[in-house]
Amino acid sequence: MEKPKFVYVTHINTTPEKLWNALVHPDFTQQYWGGRRLQSDWTVGASIKHLKADGAVELKGEVLQFDPPRLLAYTFVDCAPPLSRPAEKTTRVTFEITVAFGVTKLTVTHDGFEPESKLFPDISNGWPAILSSLKTLLESGTALPFTWKC
Amino acid sequence: MNTNPKFVYVTLITTTPEKLWAALTSPEFTQQYWGGTSIESDWKVGSKVIFRWRGNIVHNDTVLKSEPPRLLSYSFHPLQFEELLSEQPSRVTFEIEDFPVKLPDMGPVVKLTVTHDDFPADSQIFPKICDGWPGILSSLKTMLETGRAIVFKW
Repeated sequence: MEKPKFVYVTHINTTPEKLWNALVHPDFTQQYWGGRRLQSDWTVGASIKHLKADGAVELKGEVLQFDPPRLLAYTFVDCAPPLSRPAEKTTRVTFEITVAFGVTKLTVTHDGFEPESKLFPDISNGWPAILSSLKTLLESGTALPFTWKC
Repeated sequence: MNTNPKFVYVTLITTTPEKLWAALTSPEFTQQYWGGTSIESDWKVGSKVIFRWRGNIVHNDTVLKSEPPRLLSYSFHPLQFEELLSEQPSRVTFEIEDFPVKLPDMGPVVKLTVTHDDFPADSQIFPKICDGWPGILSSLKTMLETGRAIVFKW
């Protein structure tokens, strides 16, 4: 059975540098990523942490590629899976920034899942919301006003 | 085993279902975010859906479902590529749902799910639509949220 892979492309009225900044700066991620602060010193091999508003570590990982403002990749370990699914092996998320037809293009690829992954449907629901909010933030100055379940 | 390809794209937009419906069904709007394509129909089930681009008819399709402002579906058969004319028509479906928000005074958010399916297993059109939809739908979102679509230099 084929291993699932999530790919999402969005085009944003911004510069690659501003988009890069929004991906790696906790003050930005807090706005579009349901209040999560993404913290790292952003060198290859460094740890990353996703902190919830109460300070709990929700996700952690390790920087795999860091090539501003074009390519960012890190591993993704779900530290606080809901009771409905067990913890799963480490996966990988990659952000590629290009300019296509004069417009900044972001391609997010999340792969490395097991064929029967229960995490995969959750991230497939989550990324479109996060990336929609990121686009709105960069284009209008205000992220989407989500209700998050946790 | 061959499986028939299917494209699904979800985007959240700060707008109302009615405004999003109008953006999907009015030629004045589609011209702005759909690479200059004017999409014309009376949007009754069974009616024709005509795509015009630079004066040429590039689609002559049929409305399959129309439940404003929640559900729209039509057949999809591009006419502008001679080598692709023999491929069977596929189907595109737009579903519009309310998305819960915690700050209602910032305005409603709607969830748009675009599903493009009913392709043959070896479709030559499928890779083209996978490249095309993210640009069109990104531009649609920008138009509804900021008043101006994205200007791609095609």
